This record gives sequence, structure tokens and C-alpha cells, in this order.
Amino acid sequence: MLESLTSLAYGFNIALQPQNLLYCFIGVTMGTLVGVLPGIGPTATIALLLPATFKLNPISAIIMLSGICYGAMYGGSTTSILLNIPGEASSVVTCLDGYQMARKGRAGPALGISAFGSFIAGTFSIVGLVIFAPTLADFALKFGPPEYFALMVMGLSVVAYLARKSMAKALMMAVVGIVLGCVGLDPITATPRFTFGILDLADGIGIAPVVMGLFGIAEVLENLGVLTKAEIFAGKIKGLFPDREDWRRSIGPIARGSLLGFFLGLLPGVGAIVPQFLSYALEKKLSRHPERFGSGEIEGVASPEACNNAAVGGTFIPLLSLGIPSNAMTAILLGALMIYGLTPGPLLIKNSPDLFWGVIASMYIGNIMLLILNLPLIPMWVSVLKIPYSYLSSFIILFCLIGAYSLNNSTSDIYIAVIFSLVGLLMKKFAFEPAPLVLAFVLGPLLETALRRSLILSDGSFLIFLQRPISAAFILFSVVVLVAPLFSKLRLGRGLSEED
Amino acid sequence: MDLVKKTKMTASSVALFWVALGILVCYGATRLGLGSVTEPGSGFIFFWSGLILVILSLMVLVESLRSSEEIVQETGKMNWVKIALVLLSIVLYAVFVERLGFVLTTFFLLSFLLGWIEGTNWARSLGVASAAALGSFAIFELWLKIRLPKGIFGF
Repeated sequence: MLESLTSLAYGFNIALQPQNLLYCFIGVTMGTLVGVLPGIGPTATIALLLPATFKLNPISAIIMLSGICYGAMYGGSTTSILLNIPGEASSVVTCLDGYQMARKGRAGPALGISAFGSFIAGTFSIVGLVIFAPTLADFALKFGPPEYFALMVMGLSVVAYLARKSMAKALMMAVVGIVLGCVGLDPITATPRFTFGILDLADGIGIAPVVMGLFGIAEVLENLGVLTKAEIFAGKIKGLFPDREDWRRSIGPIARGSLLGFFLGLLPGVGAIVPQFLSYALEKKLSRHPERFGSGEIEGVASPEACNNAAVGGTFIPLLSLGIPSNAMTAILLGALMIYGLTPGPLLIKNSPDLFWGVIASMYIGNIMLLILNLPLIPMWVSVLKIPYSYLSSFIILFCLIGAYSLNNSTSDIYIAVIFSLVGLLMKKFAFEPAPLVLAFVLGPLLETALRRSLILSDGSFLIFLQRPISAAFILFSVVVLVAPLFSKLRLGRGLSEED
Repeated sequence: MDLVKKTKMTASSVALFWVALGILVCYGATRLGLGSVTEPGSGFIFFWSGLILVILSLMVLVESLRSSEEIVQETGKMNWVKIALVLLSIVLYAVFVERLGFVLTTFFLLSFLLGWIEGTNWARSLGVASAAALGSFAIFELWLKIRLPKGIFGF
């Protein structure tokens, strides 16, 4: 523990350097902006800005990109509360009570408690990161290919289990993601696979055009001619500081939301969206007046907002200590680490302590920046929303095209983005979820390598996954997660859907 | 045809599409070589993924045939003509961007999207398109040093 604190102090030394402070500021501001704007999320923004970070040193780059991740969580609540439109997927639940509070003239305390709640949860998750990430990384040194394979299978099973529609469809998307992720040269024999003679596919399909297509352009296409001008809360926002009674009611939900978000975020495959639904459901269950939820209860804002922020911190743990992303957002960060020549995995903390501790310390500084800047700047964020959607949608398409093109300077990536935007649109139409596809797409090559190495190690015996205790535990958990819904009608994801 | 029957047919067709895709992946995988369990080949992961895809798609197919519920669509009514036009404009953008350069192609694309697709008045569309094309060039190329295509005019 003492060693961790010394390392954290070293991290603050790095994060407080003027250049890193500047990039942290840019990251959290960009994050808040894209959190506020519906239609473009942190995942697409990180992919867009990735090429701009190539000339930076990796620490500043990751500090900025991480800032986008947690900054978006702050920004997302603003539109949820003032417009009833979640600017970001992980702020959906905040709409339920946040908007009702705004309608009752309590927009100020709703925005205030969501900012303070996010800050408290952010702080908590950073403490968790400091404690858990190095411990987990040490533990993960014992991992061999079978453990990694089993862990990734567990992540994909959890994603499918949490699917809000059909679990079979979510698993299908995960399998399609693995297939797409493995397109390109065979990592062992260098044989071209499913490249159809197209040279640009030899390196595989890039994550940036896939994300731009599935999340960015597809969203715009879906809303073409549908989205009308949003009704912006017209009243004056006053009293951003919650009063004593607000605090009394919120402190428990913030604590529970932080704990829930952080620990669920740790699990590969969970991300930040599902925990906030759970935290809302939990608060409703614990409340003496559950019937009041949905009509402007401050607990319904405090807990999910704390939860989604804590979950972001949680998702950084498998990323930084195991090299396993939890969602599309951390998947792009994983790609970024590899582009900078770093090897994500248990050795990252030992080999690049300046990066690891610098980024963690910057997250704390970023949270303080967000708290100081966010509340006074709310009128500015609201005015951003007054830009007509017709302009925003065109700009989102343009940014997606730049993001898709600039990573490899290749127009093939624009075609890939077009294909995936159509795929994304059809997936929405036929109720297939994109999250399992993207996660499996990133994990696919890692999963394949781990599987093939495991089989070579075991001389072709699949029993290796059950003979080693850690991988056996992961596999057992995956089986339980996949089989449980067959015996129980209640599945978490579907339950969440009803909770909406 | 009633709505339940129609949605059943659509859902079944989608499931059959995935079955066909799974079979194609399996076929492609066998051509790549499956290897053996002691030494898996290039097509190993594809074959098993394809097979799982076929099984899951068949499950979804059976589920969709059994279900008597109407499938609730999450999406509203989509404007397919506009969607096709936007996608076509992006494809044309990809075709011309390296020849005509970023600024000019972006100007044409944004003018089309704002003026034609979104129905903004033309004078304003052209103004916003030119400002956005030049502005994004300045931000991405000059400030962030992202290499954008220059084309024959050099910008």
C-alpha cells in the first residue's frame, strides 16, 4: 500500500507537468462536449483524435484520451437533465428523475448533485484503481494462454448475458465480431484470411472505421429527417449547490452507486451502461417511496451518475492490469497503447510506471477540473445544444470520415466505415446489439492466439482449460452465465429493459 | 398479410441470412486449412465460429417461427431514400477525396448534406460548408498535424 502511495505521488509529479495538465484539460473538455452532444460518443471521439496523438508522447496522449472517457460521463448528465435526451448511452437513466427535477424547477440541484456525485465516485474509483490494479497485475503474471482465453470467453459471455434483447442474438454478434476481428494475416503462418485479394485487408479491419460506422454514421442515418429540434429547458438554472436535505438523501445512493459501479466495471464485458440501470433499480428497491421514482427523486439522479463514473474507473483496471478491454471505449484505448509501442498486460505497470501512475493521477486532477469547470460552464454547454441537429449531423459524418481515414491515410477505411454504418443501421432495425460485436472484434485476435497457444501447450487437449484452477473458474462462471437463463425466466439484461 | 406473419417472415429471413453466412465462413475456413487440435491451422477459429453462428442462427430462426408476438422495432420509420443518398455521397467522397483534395471534396459533401439532405437554405449551406471545410482543415491538418489528402490543388 505504501509502495502504491509513493508511486501515486510520482504519478502526480508527472500529471502536474504543464503539458500533461494541458492535455488533461483538453481531454475532459472534449469529453464533456461529446457527452453533451447526442449522436457522437466518447468511443468515436477517441478514435477520431487517435491520429492527432501520434506525435505526442504516449503519457500525454493517454491522459487526454482517458479524460474524454470520464469527461463524457459528466457531460452526458447535462442533456439528460435539461433535455430528457441522454447525450451519452450511460446517462440514459439520469433522464428519468433528472428531467422531472428540472421540470419542477430543480434543475440546479440535479446538475449539482450529478457533478458532485460523479466527483465523489470518480475519487473512489481512483482509490480503487490504486489498490486493485497493481494487485491484479501481480496476480495476472500467473496467467498463461489458457487463463487469458478463459477470461476473454467470460467477458463475451457476460456481454451476451447483459444483452437487453435476445441473448442468442448477442452471442451471434460476438461470434461475428470474432470472425471480423480475425480477418487479415494469420498471426502464426502469415496466410491471408478472408481478405479476398484486397491488399488493405491484409492488416485486418481497423477498429476506427468499424466504430465510426457502427456508432457514428449509423446514428446519424437513423435520425435522418426524424430528430426535430430538441426542447431546451428554458428556465433559469439556479442553486447548483444541493442543500442539506439533498445531501442527506443523496449520500447513501452516491456511496452505493460508487461501489456498485466500480466493482461491476471491473468485470470484463460490463462497461458503464449496465451498472447505472442496476444502481437505479437498487435505489428504487431500497426506497421507502419507490412509487415516487420517475417523478423527480434526487436519489434517482445521484446514484446512477455516481455509478457510471465509478464504472469508468473500474473498466480501466482490466485494461491496464490485464490488457483486456471491457467495452468499445477501452478497446480503442487498448489499440492506442499498442500503437504507442506499449504492451498492455500485467507487465505494463512494471515496465511503464510513469504511464500507469501518471494517467491515474491525471484522472484525479481531471475530476477536479470537471467539478470546477463543469458547473459554471453549464450555460455554455446548453448553448452548444442550440446548434440545429442538421448541422451537427453533417459535422458528425465529417468527423467520422476524418477519423476513419486518418489512422492509416487510406480511403479503404472510409468504404469500411460506410459498410459498417449500413450494418449498424440494419442491426438496429432487426434488434441486434452492436456492443458484443465490437468487444469480440477487438478480443478476436487475442482470443485466437490464446486458444491456439493453449492447444499447442496441451498437445491438443481442451481439458487444459479445466485442469488449471484459474481458467477453470472463468470457464465455470461463463457456463453458469450462459446456462442460467435457460432455467430462470429472469435475465438481468431483459429485466433492465423492463425497468426502462 | 397480417403484421405478425410479416414480422415472422422478416425475422426468419434475417436468421437464414446468418445461417448462410455461417456456412460460407465454415466453407472458407476449410479452404484455409483447419489443421489439427494439436496444431490448429489458419481456418480453425473461423470454422468453429462459423459453426457456432449457424447453430445460434438456427436457434433464433426457431424462436422467431414459434413466437406469436409482434417484433417491437426500436427504430422509427427510416427514410431509406435519404439514407441511400447519404451513403452514396460518402462513397463519392472516398472516390474523389485523394484526387480533388480534402477542402474541396469536404465542401461539396457538406453542401450536399446540408442543402439537399437536411433542407437548409442554399446560401447558408454553402457558407457553413465552406467555413467547416476550411476550419476542419486548419484544425486537423495545420494544428493537430493529422495528414489529410491534398489532391491536385495541394489542399
